[in-house]
Amino acid sequence: MSSTDLIKVHLKVWRQDGPQAKGFFEDYTLDEVNTHMSFLEMLDVLNERLMKDKKEPIEFDHDCREGICGSCNLVINGVPHGPEMLTAACQLHMRHFKDGETITIEPWRATAFPIIKDLVVDRNAFDRIMSAGGYISVSTGNAPDANAIPISKPDSDSAMDYAVCIGCGACVAACPNSSASLFTGAKVSQLSRLPQGAPERKKRVIAMVDQMEKEGFGDCSNFAECEAVCPVGISITAIANMRTEYVKAVLG
Amino acid sequence: MEVADKKYTFNWDNKIPTGPVEKKWSTHKNNIKLVNPSNKRKYNIIVVGTGLAGASAAASLGELGYNVKAFCIQDSARRAHSIAAQGGINAAKNYQNDGDSIWRLFYDTVKGGDYRSREANVYRLAEVSNSIIDQCVAQGVPFAREYGGTLTNRSFGGAQLSRTFYARGQTGQQLLLGAYSALMKSMKSGKVAVHTREEMLELVTVDGEAKGIISRNLVTGKINRHAADAVLLCTGGYGNVFYLSTNAKNSNVTAAWRCHRKGALFANPSFTQIHPTCIPVSGEYQSKLTLMSESLRNDGRVWVPKKVNDKRHPNEIPEDERDYYLERIYPSFGNLVPRDVASRNAKIVCDEGRGVGETGLAVYLDFRDAIKRDGEDAIRDRYGNLFDMYHKITDDNPYKLPMRIYPAVHYTMGGLWVDYNLMTTVPGLFALGEANFSDHGANRLGASALMQGLADGYFVIPYTIGNYLAETKPGQITTDHAAFDQVEKEITEEISKLLSIKGSKTILDFHRQLGKIMWDKVGMSRDEDGLKQAIAEIQALRKEFWTDVFVPGKAATYNKYLEYALRVADFLELGELMARDALERKESCGGHFRLESQTPEGEAKRDDENYSHVSAWEFKGKDAEPVEHREPLEFENVKLTQRSYK
Amino acid sequence: MSTIANALQSQVGRKILTGLTGIFLTLFLVAHLSGNLSLFIPDGGESFNLYADFLHSLGPLLWIAEIILVILFLTHAYLGVSIYLKKKRARPENYKYYKSQGGPSKQNFASTSMLISGSIILLFVVLHVMHFKYHLFSPETYMVEGTEMVDLARHVSEAFQNPWIVAAYTFVMVLIGVHLKHGVWSAFISLGAKNPKLTPVLYTVGGIVALLLSLGFLAIPLYIFINGGL
Ligand SMILES: Cc1cc2nc3c(=O)[nH]c(=O)nc-3n(C[C@H](O)[C@H](O)[C@H](O)COP(=O)(O)OP(=O)(O)OC[C@H]3O[C@@H](n4cnc5c(N)ncnc54)[C@H](O)[C@@H]3O)c2cc1C
Ligand code: HEM
Ligand code: FES
Repeated sequence: MSSTDLIKVHLKVWRQDGPQAKGFFEDYTLDEVNTHMSFLEMLDVLNERLMKDKKEPIEFDHDCREGICGSCNLVINGVPHGPEMLTAACQLHMRHFKDGETITIEPWRATAFPIIKDLVVDRNAFDRIMSAGGYISVSTGNAPDANAIPISKPDSDSAMDYAVCIGCGACVAACPNSSASLFTGAKVSQLSRLPQGAPERKKRVIAMVDQMEKEGFGDCSNFAECEAVCPVGISITAIANMRTEYVKAVLG
Repeated sequence: MEVADKKYTFNWDNKIPTGPVEKKWSTHKNNIKLVNPSNKRKYNIIVVGTGLAGASAAASLGELGYNVKAFCIQDSARRAHSIAAQGGINAAKNYQNDGDSIWRLFYDTVKGGDYRSREANVYRLAEVSNSIIDQCVAQGVPFAREYGGTLTNRSFGGAQLSRTFYARGQTGQQLLLGAYSALMKSMKSGKVAVHTREEMLELVTVDGEAKGIISRNLVTGKINRHAADAVLLCTGGYGNVFYLSTNAKNSNVTAAWRCHRKGALFANPSFTQIHPTCIPVSGEYQSKLTLMSESLRNDGRVWVPKKVNDKRHPNEIPEDERDYYLERIYPSFGNLVPRDVASRNAKIVCDEGRGVGETGLAVYLDFRDAIKRDGEDAIRDRYGNLFDMYHKITDDNPYKLPMRIYPAVHYTMGGLWVDYNLMTTVPGLFALGEANFSDHGANRLGASALMQGLADGYFVIPYTIGNYLAETKPGQITTDHAAFDQVEKEITEEISKLLSIKGSKTILDFHRQLGKIMWDKVGMSRDEDGLKQAIAEIQALRKEFWTDVFVPGKAATYNKYLEYALRVADFLELGELMARDALERKESCGGHFRLESQTPEGEAKRDDENYSHVSAWEFKGKDAEPVEHREPLEFENVKLTQRSYK
Repeated sequence: MSTIANALQSQVGRKILTGLTGIFLTLFLVAHLSGNLSLFIPDGGESFNLYADFLHSLGPLLWIAEIILVILFLTHAYLGVSIYLKKKRARPENYKYYKSQGGPSKQNFASTSMLISGSIILLFVVLHVMHFKYHLFSPETYMVEGTEMVDLARHVSEAFQNPWIVAAYTFVMVLIGVHLKHGVWSAFISLGAKNPKLTPVLYTVGGIVALLLSLGFLAIPLYIFINGGL
């Protein structure tokens, strides 16, 4: 590590008291931000300062701080998870910002993700999409030996490429249409790659797509902005897969 | 030793079946009382936590026909801390034909736990391990495979076999998503209701039996009552009592601690695993620590400068001025000694002033020689994603510079005491996964926590809960029972009290301070003086907390810091119990190292004669001393030996 | 059948329809352009007129083709508008600061202006048809074997000597290129291009198709204008 570098940053943070309340930007300045801090640690420091001044801290979601749980959800300088590709907000470090920079922070915005408070939103719509069909119906104890069905390595690797979705919702947040197609497509693609998923293949894609619609997500216009902001780099081909699966399900 | 002056009673039946260890589980299953399928729907079961243990239990019980309510803190069940596990999950499949068996997995786990776990539990764990892999594959978990299409394995510390199944570096994620998908399926069928962002704050007991919980809706702040015929605690570990750990920020002890206060014994609270290869602390602002997989020690060499306070750039320190201390002290295991040994030695060299980096609290893990030997591409192939993660966090390039690593709190072997049925000493209250103490003794082997969480949830509790429910009339207590009034009143008052203090120190100040006490005195090495000081300091800190903490905001809104305050309040009580437990156990074993109990070479010395037991603590009141009970451990199948890695 | 009807109203169904109609419209453009390029055969526009006559001689077949074309246009336009309206409902409160991440993102001038480019194209098509099919703006005819006919080639040639018309055509032909820069790629993905490694290639291919079509259509008015007639 190089010697400690300190930068000054100006923050414009979205504050909103509750779901119905009117939101606004509040400005803060942090004079000495260690560039080795993570972005969320920088917010921790700000919150500590606010509380020392007996003010209300900024609410934001986070848990693992390792880029795997999908809790963190900040739109930083206009981009979900901020400027670094393949990096969740919790893994973003302050060294990627300039001294004196103004950083704006907004919540995910979508009808299907209502704001709870400040930067915290409700993403239960994703659970409901999964519940509509994002599983293989196998009751506990009903499984054959794990090696009973061989699965080719390329198929299994490709399933894994789609399975790594962390469910953060950045795809929705970044999409100009607020579409949840990448999220849904990733699960459909994973399960359609695997023989275990075959029996429910048709039912699954139709149910999940219907649910997506019911939740109020927009259509996909193939902007591929979702792929660009996805912290685990899921390809837009997930969406293409979902569509072919859908056609096969309807016609076949 | 002065153990003999105290009388340690143990009045609880651990329900371990008689007979040879290989037969115990099948005999037990045959004898378990059954609940008639048409009656199952009359039983309400609460599952707190949706990690591997909770999600698998809730889904499986729902499939059986019980009415299940599952709770979690996060906004989705899928975000439980289990999601972060990287390395893999063990099973005795013997797919590699290297002679693995249930027996060997059992043996390795008991030995790895330094002979402080129950043989019967561990054997059962090994026995069901294979079904777990089957179940997960059937759910669509994309484990790594060979070109021929069969599953592949990797090896992990503490085992001489390849028995670890993995899905890249995201095994926990894939397993949890599998269990979560089963949960989502049950949610659709209506058998399981999932309450996200709803935190259990208290257990409700009626006549000593668990009959429900009080929870707080984290979005609205509303206090809610839920009645049930059984409560399952699957709330994970409490490593965050150290403030800095590899655990997720929301991991906490509240649910377990509140149950402890309602009568559940807390077993081996001081047994903590400290993982040797984590990215070191970089500054005061640090909020959590990141694990680097222990597989790195296969190719990386651990060293520090020979000279004290050597501030030279690592690449400028010549070979003969480097101390590859693990290779020097443990010539036969070298860099691959078990976690506890590697961690302790890192601390020793840093305490000598030979630590590196700005803080002096780090050692080098150097890939220079491996890169020279195998080429950069080979190393990238093996560890590319870990190197990237390291680079992302530290901004250093580990291909050019040695990594800096330091031990960090990672896992807690201790937890609520449970019998063979996973029931705590409060009838109707069960504990699963990391929240219980059951299977790992004084040290957990890599890739065994995932195994245990899923074993408990998929394959143990669906059977063993029958024993309790078959004897319980369903739905007797409803939320208008006076017990709910009482508990709700207590918790509401506690919240108002916290909000009204409006003191001068933040919650984080207290948590950090507690963490420092724990790390310095109840951490990698412990001694009587330090532990006694720790107890006194924690008591003082707790008092200060309740008079000088600042908790912002209101009760009836989303308020993350209020949640946090409630959790830190419980950590402040737990910390003291951990110190007491460590103080009472005057031997060294596994992750518990007492300076007073070491061999002449400075290695951990077990005392099987006096400490071959589970210590199970009983809560006696907030300011009263807890009482220790001791469940003796008997080893009929495994011979106790002193571990040596020289 | 009802499942298919439902499917066509779903997000995926709508999008596949957009892609299909888009692709057929693109194919129509290719056919249209190949016919138009016959203007460049130096025979005073005879081949071109013959081509036009040939189309007319198809009689009912041409009507059917035209009806299909109208349906394609209207369906495509309807879907485009409905996708846009849905997008507004899906995020009523917009970001105050919003930026594309770049990298694999295909968010650019072309993709974000699909509705605008499409609407202008639609308006243009109406005018274009009135102009060259129904000759509303310059109904000059001449006699061939007793019937009154239009010399389409001459009509085109004269029209494209008017700088305003050429400017308008240039603008719209560029817009078609812009529409298709995103459109062709988008249709590939809508219709299920599944290889992650191929997606960047598809985007380039789409761009080239768009460019060629745009240049092809532009060539005619520009040539006529610069050349001062055919
Ligand atoms: C970085 C890391 C890597 C690891 N790698 C491995 C590995 O490779 N192999 C291995 O075997 N193990 C590994 N482990 C250990 C393993 O991940 C955990 O021990 C295990 O996942 C714990 O699962 P659990 O279900 O018991 O609890 P958790 O996954 O911690 O789940 C706890 C659940 O309880 C909920 N909860 C907690 N309190 C409350 C409350 N009061 N009210 C409501 N809900 C509550 C939470 O919301 C969550 O849903 C690793 C651990 C870490 C930290
Ligand atoms: C020559 C005529 C046209 C051609 C060749 C054409 C072609 C295409 C193609 C190939 C696509 C991509 C389809 C997909 O995303 O799957 C597309 C999208 C689109 N077209 Fe057209 N189009 C034409 C006319 C129009 C018209 C008249 C409109 C009128 C509104 C229009 C509006 C749109 C819109 C809004 C989209 C984007 C749909 C989305 O956001 O997903 N287009 N077009
Ligand atoms: S906090 Fe878990 S992904 Fe960012």
